[in-house]
Amino acid sequence: MVFILGVNFPERNLVKKALQSFFGIGNDTSARLLARYHIHPTCKVGELANKQVLDLTAALSDMKIENDLRRKVLDDIKRLRETGTTRGRRHALGLPVRGQRTRTQIKTAIKLNRVDRRL
Amino acid sequence: MAWSSSNCVVHAMQSIRSPTVLRALLPQQSAARPNILRKVSLLPTPLQQRTNVRNYATELQPGEVQAAAEIDFEQFKARPARIVPVSPSYFSGIPKFYDHLLQIERLLAQHTTLPTVPPSEAPRRAWMKIAQFREHLGEEVPTKKYMGLLKVVYRLNCIDPKLLPAEVDAALQEFVRPGNPLGEKPKPRELDGMGRARGKGKRKESHAVVYLVEGEGEVLVNGKTLNEVFPRVHDRESATWALRCSARLDKYNVFARVKGGGTTGQAEAITLALARALMIHEPGLKPILRKAGVITVDPRRVERKKPGHMKARKMPTWVKR
Amino acid sequence: MVSPFCWGCLTRLRPTPRTLLPSPSSVSRGPAFHTSAVFHAGLRPGSGRGATAVSKFRQPSNASMKKRKKPVEKSRPPPVGERKAIRKRIVLSNPNALEVEGLQELSEETMVDSRLHGTALALPVPMLDQLRAVQAFKPNQGWSIFRRPCTILRQETLQLGRFFDKVSGDGEHKGPFVKKKIISGPSKSGKSVLLLQAMAMGFIKKWVVFTIPEAQELVSATSSYAPLSEEQPHLYVQNEATAALLSRTVVANKAVLSKLRVSQDHPALSAVTPGMTLEGLANLGVQDPASAWTVFQALWGELTATAAAPGLEKNFTPRPPILVTVDGLGHWMTESKYRDAEFKLVHSHDLVLVRHFLRLLKPGGDQPALPNGGALLYATSTTMNPPSVYAFDLILKRAAARAAGFKFNDPRFPRAEAYSNIDPRVLEALTSQKSKHAQEKKLGHQVLGGVTHDEARGFMEYFARSGLLQETISDEWVSEKWTLAGGGVIGELERIGRRLRVAA
Repeated sequence: MVFILGVNFPERNLVKKALQSFFGIGNDTSARLLARYHIHPTCKVGELANKQVLDLTAALSDMKIENDLRRKVLDDIKRLRETGTTRGRRHALGLPVRGQRTRTQIKTAIKLNRVDRRL
Repeated sequence: MAWSSSNCVVHAMQSIRSPTVLRALLPQQSAARPNILRKVSLLPTPLQQRTNVRNYATELQPGEVQAAAEIDFEQFKARPARIVPVSPSYFSGIPKFYDHLLQIERLLAQHTTLPTVPPSEAPRRAWMKIAQFREHLGEEVPTKKYMGLLKVVYRLNCIDPKLLPAEVDAALQEFVRPGNPLGEKPKPRELDGMGRARGKGKRKESHAVVYLVEGEGEVLVNGKTLNEVFPRVHDRESATWALRCSARLDKYNVFARVKGGGTTGQAEAITLALARALMIHEPGLKPILRKAGVITVDPRRVERKKPGHMKARKMPTWVKR
Repeated sequence: MVSPFCWGCLTRLRPTPRTLLPSPSSVSRGPAFHTSAVFHAGLRPGSGRGATAVSKFRQPSNASMKKRKKPVEKSRPPPVGERKAIRKRIVLSNPNALEVEGLQELSEETMVDSRLHGTALALPVPMLDQLRAVQAFKPNQGWSIFRRPCTILRQETLQLGRFFDKVSGDGEHKGPFVKKKIISGPSKSGKSVLLLQAMAMGFIKKWVVFTIPEAQELVSATSSYAPLSEEQPHLYVQNEATAALLSRTVVANKAVLSKLRVSQDHPALSAVTPGMTLEGLANLGVQDPASAWTVFQALWGELTATAAAPGLEKNFTPRPPILVTVDGLGHWMTESKYRDAEFKLVHSHDLVLVRHFLRLLKPGGDQPALPNGGALLYATSTTMNPPSVYAFDLILKRAAARAAGFKFNDPRFPRAEAYSNIDPRVLEALTSQKSKHAQEKKLGHQVLGGVTHDEARGFMEYFARSGLLQETISDEWVSEKWTLAGGGVIGELERIGRRLRVAA
């Protein structure tokens, strides 16, 4: 078991997938992180050297991920709502924000779009 | 017009054929003619009895040949005594056809004793198709009748070509398709200047051209070796089957160009092309190749999809409503 | 009064209640003119459901016809690494195959004997472990159908054998000759087996054998990498791969390396003691992958040394020739799958291990590539895998043209097309220059095609003698199979031989 940013990962997991388990890190970001610390893409968590683990943790702690990112997204939505923009209104109404049609296919917007959006 | 009615014609014929009846109806005739008629009636010989029954106005009475009276062209009416169609089958509806049929049947009867050859050795001629024949005659000949005619034609064609009379030949020429596509045999194919034989073949959507030269058994398909082109061994075998079944696999080099279709089609297109090229090198192999089935063209193609069908034949599932 | 309907019309219309129908006995049971199932169903005396319960159109008539879901068997997946082990497993013996009588082994005499051309030669049993260690056998080769591993002595093998004989023989032509050769050919044409034969000869002649059995594994980003040093951040070292190479080399060349002693100074390695065997030196790298690259460099320096460093003369013995084989050279001619810190792809030539082996191949260096003689055999496939690289293809074409006798000024000499996006590094790495060393030849190129008819015959006879073929082997039969195998491609011949076995 290896701790990366306070999270415990089993040794047989891929480092790339382990990084992607953080909110705010996807395919591209994790690949770039691996490249920055010269970790090959098929590397397992157990194969990481201590220094590499520390490097990754330091890099992750500098990034805006997990709760910071969630808070930021919610703040942005709230700001839109408070300034009275159309986008804010659409969020509040639970409708698509970016000009999609609303006659059909707005299930996702109904489910997700609201001021205190669930992330 | 009165002639158009058949009844009128019959009446006219009758009136011409029985001058005795006519005589009663025409009392004031010229002097010479009633005399003759009267004499005939006065001499009731058995022969004359008969002629009396079937007497034609144009027939001469035997024994009483006389110069006919001078025709007075002033009085001559431009109307024939009776109208005779050119063809005896004029009233059959398809007279030209029957004329032909009668003619060749007569020829057959005339020459039926001439020696014949088996149909396979008879000279090949491309006979007219029914549609062509109809167009040629301008008559709606029924198919069955034309087939009957063709049977006679086939029989006449089987007469030994050396003894074939000129008139029969001319009559048969009537039924040969214009241009006579089968008449001239294609020139036998030959090797080109570099000793290559070229054969073409098709199967499914594939077209193949094969150049065959004498060699050690190397095969190139589109510039690649056989195993690169056909991953399946079966395809390789079928592509070279013509050489294999004639035990010539190590005597020739094959260069094939093939395009279109999939692997099976390409392999079997090469088979056909290769067999044809091999026959140019060695025409004597034809029976072997025919038996091996490599020079038989497989004309099957994918059946087209039809509207309303899922595939060529498959229909969507029937739903009640 | 007579009803306007007859019974037949009424009964055929719809299932009628049974009471309306005449009793079964009253209906004449003569020939059934009505084929209506409904009618008969109603008439059948034993019918329990009667005529009222008629199933609807196109629906399962009873509930038992409904599909029941089969319980999915839940079994544990195989343990970690087992699938890979099965995939990579190499079986070298088939006890069901017949023992071939009079089979000769590959040895110093037989490998140059042209009378044996086209026959199968067995690999000596003690050598199999060495060959396994250098991963000379590939899982997709047909070793598992014969009693013991054998190879066909083909023309190219004989040439190689003569070269090995020339380098380490006792004749007057003995000398540190170096053969640099790229072996290319279509897939299954026997390139890897030729490399295997070279390795076997190397082991027989007591050479040191370095192999890269899968060149692709070095560039496919499946093992760890790191920048070489602070000063050279654009070069990358692959410690695990280097350690694996060292371990292969140590296990396979134990007999040779354990007799050689360290005779140079290695300031970078503190663990090296004077008088240590080279085996011990290499094991340092195996044990500590972090220092593997340094150890490899030290080992290479020891093996290519022609004289001892001052003060260490008593440890020096003449170094044996070196054989280097690389399988799949084409994979090294593009960018690798590794990424640098800026997320750009690392060129394969920036990986030090690759760079080391490619630099050996390049003729015309200041230092001779192998001062003690030896051979560099790099194989690459010309079909599909690896994907073709224009610059590399051009180099191969040029090598072929040079072999055909075209000079560089000749208009028929292959040139790069204008506007072709050619990789200058590949071109630069392999462009052949005039060699500065007398015993080093230019970069050679050998195209490995199909075997000849005689060799094919020998191969099929070996099949027959192993009991895998029932046919009598005639010239015609062999030439037919030769054609079907795409002109004697030996892998295809083997496949056909196997196929016949299944059919029989």
